[in-house]
Amino acid sequence: MSPSTDNGVVDTPPLPPQGVSTRVLGGIAEDATLSAPGVFLILLAFILPIGQMLLLSLENTTGGLTVEHFTRFLGDGYYLGIVWRTLRLSLLITVIAAVIGFPLAYVMAHVGPRLRLWLIILVILPLMTSVVVRTFGWMVLLGRGGLIPFTLWKLGFVNRNFTLMQTESAIVIGMVQVLLPFMTLSVLGVVMKVDRRLEEAARTMGASFLATLRTVVLPLAMPGIVAGSLLVFTLSVSSFITPSLLGGVRLPVVAGSIYEAATKTLEWNFAAAQSVILLIGVFLVLLPYLKLTGRRHG
Amino acid sequence: MVRAVPTTVRITAFLFVVLTLVFVLAPLVVVAGVSVSESQFIAFPPAGFSLRWYSAILTSGAYLGAAWTSLKLAVLVTICATVIGAGAAITLHRRRLPGAALLAGLFLSPLILPTIIFAIGLLMLWSATFGPVSFTALWIGHTVVALPYVVRTTLAVLAESDPFLEEAAATMGARRWQRLVFVVLPQCLPGLAAGAFFAFNISFDEAVVALFLRTPDLVTLPIQIYNQLEFSPDPSVAAVSTLMIGVTILLIVVIDRLLGIQRFTGA
Repeated sequence: MSPSTDNGVVDTPPLPPQGVSTRVLGGIAEDATLSAPGVFLILLAFILPIGQMLLLSLENTTGGLTVEHFTRFLGDGYYLGIVWRTLRLSLLITVIAAVIGFPLAYVMAHVGPRLRLWLIILVILPLMTSVVVRTFGWMVLLGRGGLIPFTLWKLGFVNRNFTLMQTESAIVIGMVQVLLPFMTLSVLGVVMKVDRRLEEAARTMGASFLATLRTVVLPLAMPGIVAGSLLVFTLSVSSFITPSLLGGVRLPVVAGSIYEAATKTLEWNFAAAQSVILLIGVFLVLLPYLKLTGRRHG
Repeated sequence: MVRAVPTTVRITAFLFVVLTLVFVLAPLVVVAGVSVSESQFIAFPPAGFSLRWYSAILTSGAYLGAAWTSLKLAVLVTICATVIGAGAAITLHRRRLPGAALLAGLFLSPLILPTIIFAIGLLMLWSATFGPVSFTALWIGHTVVALPYVVRTTLAVLAESDPFLEEAAATMGARRWQRLVFVVLPQCLPGLAAGAFFAFNISFDEAVVALFLRTPDLVTLPIQIYNQLEFSPDPSVAAVSTLMIGVTILLIVVIDRLLGIQRFTGA
């Protein structure tokens, strides 16, 4: 808003010399009032709980400071195995999601608007469906006698009826389906903005379709792929409903271990320490990304 | 214009998209299929056709109780998140407050931070301050998770609004509150409405916060499903799940009508 807005106001007296600044202050006061409930909620119900968790992670039984919960987690081969599984699976899930998500988004960007709308709705529908419901679907599909093991058996790929449940494959299949929409939508947003004439120019100059895709579209779509990958990776590292239902107790992940400690064995300080480790991990992954996007949006 | 995408590529792309959609939608279709099965056991393809599992959940106290909790919760969360989110989005759009970038980060931070970390923090803080968790704790938790979505949809709408309307109103003598109520808020409405439906969907489907804050008396629909899946899944779980998928489809249609679902893909 320009400072001259209020000139010509009929029912108020002419502005005093410091009128502009009072008006600016009035605007700030109005905005502060409008955003106060939100600030209040986020500070009290979001920042404070996380702060409380940080404190608990450093607290020993008598209330003093200690790092024993961290050393317990980081010094135990069992827990390091959980960390390793979480990282390995999350990386695999991210790569598969990118490999499926990029071509899907590319096709979605190149079809007509009506078809694109339908494709977007079909991608968003699972995204907005509860994770518990989707995981249940995979339990039916992957379990003993489920459609996928049964088909593989009947087609002769395996020699007996088996279950895919409680395997790392089940976790990866389920998680890719849960997280693929995030990747697709991230890439789609970027691919839609790629100038179509660049592709046409490359084709006119004799590049094959695949060469154009690789040398023109892929580099330009990279910001979207990177953003989607970071999103999928962080969501993957911190999710536990799908891994715990599909992988079972034999294949715990970090978030599952936190859940166990917080709700089953009731070791809150230990759960808090694990959460802080997860938080630091996620933050380290996200930090470069946040810096990059922050710069892009000015 | 160069029409030079080879036919083989077109066919491959077509098959790829169809297969991917099958993969993405399979769990939902399977759940719906199981729900109409006559059999006692969870089986896909379904054996026979029967709505007995739907009548089973409609007479089950556990499911009805959970559904009532979820519905009450989702409505209250929607109201709170929408009202609070409207104020937040308007101020973020105006950028008059000092530290606007920090404020934007604050409002959108629940979107970035893993929900499990927030959920466990809320459980610990609530227990330390007020004792056992209650409906109110869940209400607050879900409002925090839903708030960024309302802020985002409203910001997206405000970005396309006409900034001169408010100036014009000011020139014509409208006071601050009049400009807010009669000029700014009506412009926010499509975004707020879409945000409200998102908030409802998130609260209704959310499972992480609800799982940490569950007590025997405080069980939402997703948690009731989760409990059932952990111990004794039967086709009634599929019937509840299918109803939840139905609610989601309904919400997507409404959001699309209000605002166009496509608007959220580029943002």
